[in-house]
Amino acid sequence: MKLSVDAARCTGHGRCYSLAPAVFGEDDHGHCVLRLVEVPPEHQRAARIAVANCPEDALEISAE
Amino acid sequence: MSNPDLEKREVNLFSGEFAACPQPVYKELVTKCPFARASFGASPVLSRYEDVLWALRHPEIFSSEMEMHMALGTERPMIPQQIDPPAQTKYRKILDPRFSKKRMLEIEPNVRRNAHELIDGFFERGECEFDHEFAMPLPATAFLALMGLPQSELPRFLRIKDMIIRPQTLLDDPTVEASQALRKDAGRQIYAFFGDVIEERRKKPGTDMVSYLLETEIDGQRLTREEILDVSFLLILAGLDTVTATLGCNMAYLAANPAQRRRILSKPEIIPGAVEELLRWETPVTAVPRVVKQEVEVHGVKLAKGEMVTLLIGASNVDDSEFRDPELVDFERERNKHLAFGGGPHRCLGSHLARMELEVALQVWHERIPDYRVKPGETPRYSAGIREVQYLPLVWDRA
Repeated sequence: MKLSVDAARCTGHGRCYSLAPAVFGEDDHGHCVLRLVEVPPEHQRAARIAVANCPEDALEISAE
Repeated sequence: MSNPDLEKREVNLFSGEFAACPQPVYKELVTKCPFARASFGASPVLSRYEDVLWALRHPEIFSSEMEMHMALGTERPMIPQQIDPPAQTKYRKILDPRFSKKRMLEIEPNVRRNAHELIDGFFERGECEFDHEFAMPLPATAFLALMGLPQSELPRFLRIKDMIIRPQTLLDDPTVEASQALRKDAGRQIYAFFGDVIEERRKKPGTDMVSYLLETEIDGQRLTREEILDVSFLLILAGLDTVTATLGCNMAYLAANPAQRRRILSKPEIIPGAVEELLRWETPVTAVPRVVKQEVEVHGVKLAKGEMVTLLIGASNVDDSEFRDPELVDFERERNKHLAFGGGPHRCLGSHLARMELEVALQVWHERIPDYRVKPGETPRYSAGIREVQYLPLVWDRA
């Protein structure tokens, strides 16, 4: 699984790094940064939930 | 083309009944009347998730730059809430790091200790009035610490905050003029107080917010005294009221719904999910205002430049086009893109502080007082606008 972040959409709600801290992190402004380019199976469920909870629709699963 | 049917529904967003139980009104608006009119001023009210989110994300159409007559006792717009990008973006760049999740986690132990101390103060009594004894002091104490101000200032700030946010509750004859006069008076007090704080911090900087603002630069420029005052003004209003309101809404809900309360007791790890779900369901900040900056058509109605619009966030949070079973309050809801903290560039600056305080409060309260209820014969009282539960008497058995 691969993820992509649209940094222009992110406004720093922080849902992603709260729900899937192994996959997403925060920069100094609280905006999303990807911690993993390739999401291993054990983190895929959390990653999916995080993507589904972004209020700005800034996250996308770019490859399964 | 105008569609008169859609405009017929008038909605009173400032009644006590609405504040106590807004969800049925939300449902009606979302399903039958996505374009309504507010009963005061007849300004348009948008309620569907899609419409509210779209408006929040387009400040170039739905601006936060209000006319001054809408102001809350201010002489200038509050920063960054009442200004739009691109200027707003520059202020958020310096403020966001001070309110990031990781920074808020650094002060979490203090908030936790304070929550315990507050409960220590009334636990043996077997009852408390939740608003005044817990919901107000907890976030206010954190706010004063962030601002580097002594806790002895608490009563003064709580009074000033109420003079601005709900002046009608402090007046015998709450006319619009009297309310505005009270707000102006409070505004002058805030400017004077923080004017003095700025002078003190200039001489003796600390680790507090005002010291930070004094030494921070935007595009190589220091902030002016007025800019620092305009940020401070916002932090007072936002820091002293919204979490208080949310804590009250949450506890009133849990006291009235023992099965939900037991879910939290048996599975405390769902508390972060419960916080999100109660933010969605209760949405204490029911609505945010915007002013139309360029002519736009919504649901067939033309909105002219300068028109005020109410974005009814609470309604969007129960829209079934976004939320599955919106009337089910599910602490383990998997997808919950609620807009309780807004969205787009004006996403609540304090959202990470709020979430931390709300989680800590629910954790500590349920550890200490697992079995509580509303005092028999009493009814919680909600204030209009921002839904603070101004009277919430709770009782419990002392273990």
